[in-house]
Amino acid sequence: MNTILECKSLTKKYSSLTALDNVNLTLERGRIIGLLGPNGSGKTTLIKLINGLLVQNSGELLINGKSPNPETKKVVSYLPEKTYLPDWMRVSDTINFFKDFYQDFDEKRAYDMLTRLQLDPSRRLKSLSKGTKEKVQLILVMSRQADLYCLDEPIGGVDPAARDYILNTIISNYNENATVLISTHLIADIEKILDEVVFIKNGHVTLHESVDDIRSKEGKSIDTLFREVFKC
Amino acid sequence: MLGKLLKHEFKATSRLLLPLFLILAVLTIMDRIVLGLNVFEGIFATISGFITFAYVISIIAVVVVTTVFVIYRFYKNLMTDEGYLMFTLPVKPSELINSKLLVATLWTIVSTIAILLSLIIVFSGTSYFPEIKDGFALVFEQISLQLGSYANLFYIELFVLIIVSIINNILMVYVSIAIGQLINGHKILGSIGAYIVISVIIQIVSVVALGVFSLILGRTIENVSALPQILFPLVIIGLVVTNILYYWGTNFLFKRKLNLD
Repeated sequence: MNTILECKSLTKKYSSLTALDNVNLTLERGRIIGLLGPNGSGKTTLIKLINGLLVQNSGELLINGKSPNPETKKVVSYLPEKTYLPDWMRVSDTINFFKDFYQDFDEKRAYDMLTRLQLDPSRRLKSLSKGTKEKVQLILVMSRQADLYCLDEPIGGVDPAARDYILNTIISNYNENATVLISTHLIADIEKILDEVVFIKNGHVTLHESVDDIRSKEGKSIDTLFREVFKC
Repeated sequence: MLGKLLKHEFKATSRLLLPLFLILAVLTIMDRIVLGLNVFEGIFATISGFITFAYVISIIAVVVVTTVFVIYRFYKNLMTDEGYLMFTLPVKPSELINSKLLVATLWTIVSTIAILLSLIIVFSGTSYFPEIKDGFALVFEQISLQLGSYANLFYIELFVLIIVSIINNILMVYVSIAIGQLINGHKILGSIGAYIVISVIIQIVSVVALGVFSLILGRTIENVSALPQILFPLVIIGLVVTNILYYWGTNFLFKRKLNLD
């Protein structure tokens, strides 16, 4: 079984707006995939559906062949675009929290990464800047041995130096059975680590191809192609 | 997983509530001491008055803070950005509700017992204490006298009634919040609105139910033993039914209609 995520005619409507319209998408294991599209194109909606934070109006979404439920949540590691950790906690409390709830959480790896980024585990989240909180969240999420990582805008709020470290972390931490789905519009920064891209526009998947194929066929970078496809 | 949720829920709530109970305990002991001294003149009377005042405030604080914090905790932890963490844990929405409900119920009971204990301790140092004791003895005596063999049933039902209504109060807030979160941009306002609407519905239904039952049961109500025999069981059943509805509603909305910002 090589498929990790399968969407069949997936449709999600908000009261007046169709966020995802009849999306068919199959993601294989062992890839780093960019979910690329302008603001409001449906990226976050798709990621929220994968994580069971929303329920689709019609169609099917399967992770390892199962609809989102507590079992699939065990194998999906999700980084939302929000700072979602309770701010009264210390960094070490958040590590204990993850250790308690996720069997695949590697505590040692989390502490190693904290040390590398010179973050003090005894600090309260309240006292950290927004970018630092995002780093802590990313460390927690990437310290899991998940099958599917969903990273929603993982590099938006952090400085370029940390950005490089984070991207390296993503590449070096995922294993051959895992897939990383990264939603972003900062394409130039992450282009070099992507295996595949999914372009999404107004709730439709307009392109799903490997980066190598695009480069050889179109002869241009993903960033350039994106700017052309989504030209305003 | 419920055990782990409970553990973290206790950790998150006790960091505020335990210090609060500690303040109540300290002020209880201080007030007991100054009242026991029986000094009603001079500078010492002012100090004792001040301590009594602080004590009364601390009792009010325990009631208010416990209630508000239980509600705030549910909203903050599940309906704001923290909801992204909680609802993506490998647990069912019902387990999230259970952990919150159990801990909230427990804190409400603990705060009630703490206040009662504290009042007994403080009043045991005053000259009123024998009178209060006699008053309570009289109440219990009257209950046994009037209810006879139903007295034990009465106490059991009273206990169940208290627990079920504590849960009822909490779940009514939960379902209101679960309804309120559906309204984008006005989640708190929506929750308050939902709470008011539910209150009005409950009021109307209870008045109608009361009318219907008094028509059916008529004169049998006049006997005091109707309390444990008819009235308490009916109220308990009514509360249990609404509890089930609130719980089911909250769980359904969290499962199918979650709407985090």
